[in-house]
Amino acid sequence: MADEKQNGKRWVGASLPRKEESRLLRGLGKFADDIKLREMLYLRFVRSPYAHARIVSVDTSAAEALPGVACVLTGAEIAAQTQPFIEIGPGPAQNIKDYPLAVTRARYQGEPVAAVVADSAALADDAAELVQVEYEALDPVMDAEDALTDKSILHEGAATNQVWNGVWEFGDVEQAFRDAAYVVNIDRMHFHRFSSTPLENNVVIGQWDPKDEHIYYQCNNSFPSFAVQFLSSHLGVPIDRIRVQTADIGGSFGIKITSYPQMAVCALASKKAGGRPVKWVESRSEHMVSSAHGNERTFRKTRVALDRDGVITAIDSHHIDDCGAYPRYEPLGCVIWSQVFPGVYRFKNARIDFTQAVTNKCPVGPNRGYSRMQHLWFLERVVDICAHQIGIPADEMRLKNYVRPEEFPYLTPNGCIYDSGNYPKMLEVGKKLIGWDDWKAKQAAARAEGRLIGIGIGTTLDSGTNNFGQSQIVNPYAPFSGNSQGANCKLDIYGEVVVAVGSCPQGQGHETTAAQVVADVLGIHPDKITVRTGFDTERNVHTGFSGTYASQFAVSGLSAVHGAAQKLKAEMKRLAGHVLETTEDDLEFGSGEQGPEVRAKSTGKSINYWGLANIVNVNSAVLPEEMYDVTLNCRYVWRAPFKVPDKERKYGQLTLTYASQLHIAVMEVDRETFIPKILDYVAVDDCGTVINPPIVEGQVYGATAHGIGAALMESCVYDEVGNMLTSTFSDYIPITAVNMPKVKYGHVCTPSPHSYSGAKGMGEGGAAPIHTISAALQDALYASGVFIHDSFNNADSIFRVLAKKEGGQLAELVKLEKRAQANGATK
Amino acid sequence: MYPRSFHYHRAKSLQEAAAMLAQLGDQAKLLAGGQSLIPLMKLRFANPAHLVDLNFIAGTSYIHSEAGVGEGGYSETGVSEGGVLRFGALTRHAEIENSALAATVPILHDCAAGIADVQIRNRGTIGGSLAEADPSGDWACVLSTLSTEVRCLGASSPERVIPLSEFILDAYTSALQPDELVSEVMVKIPVKGSGGAYLAFKRSAPVYPTASAAVQLTMEGDRCTDVAIALGCVGLTAIKAKDAEAALRGQTLNDKALAAAGEAASAAAEPQDDMRGSADYKRALVGALVKRAIAIAARRAHGEQVEVSHIYA
Ligand SMILES: Cc1cc2nc3c(=O)[nH]c(=O)nc-3n(C[C@H](O)[C@H](O)[C@H](O)COP(=O)(O)OP(=O)(O)OC[C@H]3O[C@@H](n4cnc5c(N)ncnc54)[C@H](O)[C@@H]3O)c2cc1C
Repeated sequence: MADEKQNGKRWVGASLPRKEESRLLRGLGKFADDIKLREMLYLRFVRSPYAHARIVSVDTSAAEALPGVACVLTGAEIAAQTQPFIEIGPGPAQNIKDYPLAVTRARYQGEPVAAVVADSAALADDAAELVQVEYEALDPVMDAEDALTDKSILHEGAATNQVWNGVWEFGDVEQAFRDAAYVVNIDRMHFHRFSSTPLENNVVIGQWDPKDEHIYYQCNNSFPSFAVQFLSSHLGVPIDRIRVQTADIGGSFGIKITSYPQMAVCALASKKAGGRPVKWVESRSEHMVSSAHGNERTFRKTRVALDRDGVITAIDSHHIDDCGAYPRYEPLGCVIWSQVFPGVYRFKNARIDFTQAVTNKCPVGPNRGYSRMQHLWFLERVVDICAHQIGIPADEMRLKNYVRPEEFPYLTPNGCIYDSGNYPKMLEVGKKLIGWDDWKAKQAAARAEGRLIGIGIGTTLDSGTNNFGQSQIVNPYAPFSGNSQGANCKLDIYGEVVVAVGSCPQGQGHETTAAQVVADVLGIHPDKITVRTGFDTERNVHTGFSGTYASQFAVSGLSAVHGAAQKLKAEMKRLAGHVLETTEDDLEFGSGEQGPEVRAKSTGKSINYWGLANIVNVNSAVLPEEMYDVTLNCRYVWRAPFKVPDKERKYGQLTLTYASQLHIAVMEVDRETFIPKILDYVAVDDCGTVINPPIVEGQVYGATAHGIGAALMESCVYDEVGNMLTSTFSDYIPITAVNMPKVKYGHVCTPSPHSYSGAKGMGEGGAAPIHTISAALQDALYASGVFIHDSFNNADSIFRVLAKKEGGQLAELVKLEKRAQANGATK
Repeated sequence: MYPRSFHYHRAKSLQEAAAMLAQLGDQAKLLAGGQSLIPLMKLRFANPAHLVDLNFIAGTSYIHSEAGVGEGGYSETGVSEGGVLRFGALTRHAEIENSALAATVPILHDCAAGIADVQIRNRGTIGGSLAEADPSGDWACVLSTLSTEVRCLGASSPERVIPLSEFILDAYTSALQPDELVSEVMVKIPVKGSGGAYLAFKRSAPVYPTASAAVQLTMEGDRCTDVAIALGCVGLTAIKAKDAEAALRGQTLNDKALAAAGEAASAAAEPQDDMRGSADYKRALVGALVKRAIAIAARRAHGEQVEVSHIYA
């Protein structure tokens, strides 16, 4: 018998090819749109062409008269039979009435106003054109700062466009400013709106079955346990009667968390159509105008205090977040950024006044790097521009201000605990990979020829495994805290090892990494383990937090899998000890001639998994009574060891692990075409112990591509009356292979003390390229008097700032005060 | 979205296709590669009641070369050593991209290889591209720097050959009669000592350029004796940059001449603001692209093999 280890090493850490690869790469994945049910109907939304309008009337008669149309649903009809969706925000935000179809008012261009259900998708398209909606245009509010003046109100009930406001203040901010040697004032910075454009758009099949009054969903929602909580109260259907199944998902990046309104419409349409299943497949244009965008954020009146060495001692700033027309998952984003309150830096004094507003744009949703990336970009711009203003080289400025390796676990001013990390080491690795000194020399030579070359550093965090207690900082009555994940590990009747997880992966390789963890526990090959991924409410593994989001599977998911496998192993030991007539510590696990087995070291006798499963499942008369509790079917719920944060002080441990990224870019702006080009690029990643190196590397490349696209190509643009100008891929340009530079990948490992394996959640990547590219462009254009004040920069915007001096002028936006006393002490 | 329902007709010959157009009237559209038409139908911006499919007509996809004046009335009196390249209307961009014959005129290869992505090049046709007369269409821009004629076939009228400059009248408007179609595109092979280049800035492969520049010039030593320059995506049609040509013709190609040509090209552009860029930016960009295309064209005119690719964001 042999323990089937990888060259004597553990499976965790091995470069095992993905188990799901063969299926997905050969086009054999199982996606929601592949499912076709008997009697299935197809749904098409009628959408508002206005950004803001009163709905005067909706006439569905012509559409209903079209042969093949089963029914048409309007907002008024839905409002009459449902409750508005739960609002997470406190106070006035509780009076926002969010229904899945607009009832009396449309609040963004593309908002669904009616839904048409027909025998075929083409017929539904035809019928949708026949629905007559009369609108009366209202003043659109397109900018968050404008929205806060409340001149035109989106949600009558709330009577204000402000969704949320709160102040985070730690340390002695004013004292730090009094002591400062330098104060840098930054008038305005802006993080732009972009989205994630997964290959597969949203898909929902919903059936309200009259036979059992259950609702059945097959869909690609990426956080189903959250969706069912919203759907149950909205539809008035007990949560146990809502079944949600997901299979393979073609990307989500968080955007698919907020597909529950469309899920509600499919169920209600099915009900109206007598229980026939209703399928909705989102088109790309629909996805662009109305799925979910990422949060847009404006940073006003920022003040930064520094001592005479360039160490930042305090930051004071006002942040205004634009969540689009409906808060939905928001205002969680109003607190989630504070997981990385000081970023990777040591400053202790800070005051951030955070406000969120609604505007007449597509609602936002969690989008890879959710809410933290906006804040991290802000901090990176602050550190970067201060370095330029004072004249400190970019790398030195980081080293002066980074949290130091010996300070981990590091307690942040707002009570978060950074588990581990080594930012100086990452910088060293990054500089080596890029050839820092070499590039510095080349840059100097190129500048002498008048070329615009810049080198930029971005250092970020990917905080993973949320403490949902942070929702109470937003709303003290929110009944959420902690975090958990469930998994099940069993021997099936013939002894097959089967693992089920409550996650719904979209390419993160959960089937593979879960199998690696169980393989190590049982000493067998991962190929002998079947992993059921994809969510299924009726599999009974999930908890209320189950899903795939927020960089956590390696911690929450695999801890649950590990716990379940341990539990199964303990039962197997008891049973095998009894059968083999030996003590448990005499047993060893591995694989023999008859497959996976448990063996007594003393006698050499063994029993294989079939034998064990046989006794429990179909031969139970041989099972002694004291072992009746052995089921070989073990569910384990892993819980993150969190406390409820201090809501008043906004203080506490908000996330469990902090993966870090350090990117370096060398960029050139062409003097004639203004095209910014990446000349060299390095991505260094530290996510603690790596479970599967190629999977981690793949996530790093994906997040890097995503960030480069966001920084240089992808922007959701609205005109002043609220028309979305980027509703197709002719105008919204997702990054493709031809746009990618060669990325040099580097790795640093600081194992996390907060997870059983030392792994940290990863995958979101902190949007490192956005910060890095902004810094590189800043370096290239600083001497030209440009301040990179926006996270989106393309050839056109650089042309306008550089050649036309339209906005982005350093002299107007950034002011450096040098204090005569200059008595800031280095701490 | 799905297109509105329509009737589908499969033509067996170009003559039959033209006859169908005459019979079905203005509710009918020809279907070539479908790479312009189908997206418009899917967004329901175009809603033809009839589609006449050209894809199953044999002998409409080819690249032939003929020495001297080609048969079928190639009417330009050009240099006889020039010869003619003839493209069937249904010749796909990809066929041209991969054709050694077409590559003898490098600017044709630059154009074909730079259109959108592989899938679109495999379907889209040269005839469809000219007939569509999209202001951003690459072929119309490139072919206007060469002597190009379009052969048109009608149901009721005799076959006619129209110089490209008279074929594209305005944005999305060609000289085709309602019952006429494009059967062939004829391009005069440039004389020896002539070189060309086509350069665009594209945000990614499957989108039209922000701006583009096509340059075909003839060199005698350092001196440019003849030149044609066209600007793409900066007007309602491709723009012949006459002043930029004048700035080069008879000149030694030095930095000063290039700068003058670039400036004249910028001045000739009539761009509009859109998601590809602001008008001012496109104006600046097209001048820079012209200068670079001139430099490459000149090297090729001297016989150098120069590989070029568009510039991507
Ligand atoms: C995503 C995308 C990106 C693209 N990017 C580019 C680009 O960068 N550069 C570029 O140049 N093009 C681009 N295209 C367009 C592509 O080149 C098309 O193939 C071309 O414009 C039209 O050719 P077609 O054969 O597909 O024509 P179709 O779409 O079939 O037809 C277009 C029009 O021409 C008419 N027509 C077609 N053939 C004939 C004929 N023989 N006689 C008369 N009328 C005819 C049709 O009735 C129709 O009205 C892009 C297309 C897509 C979908």
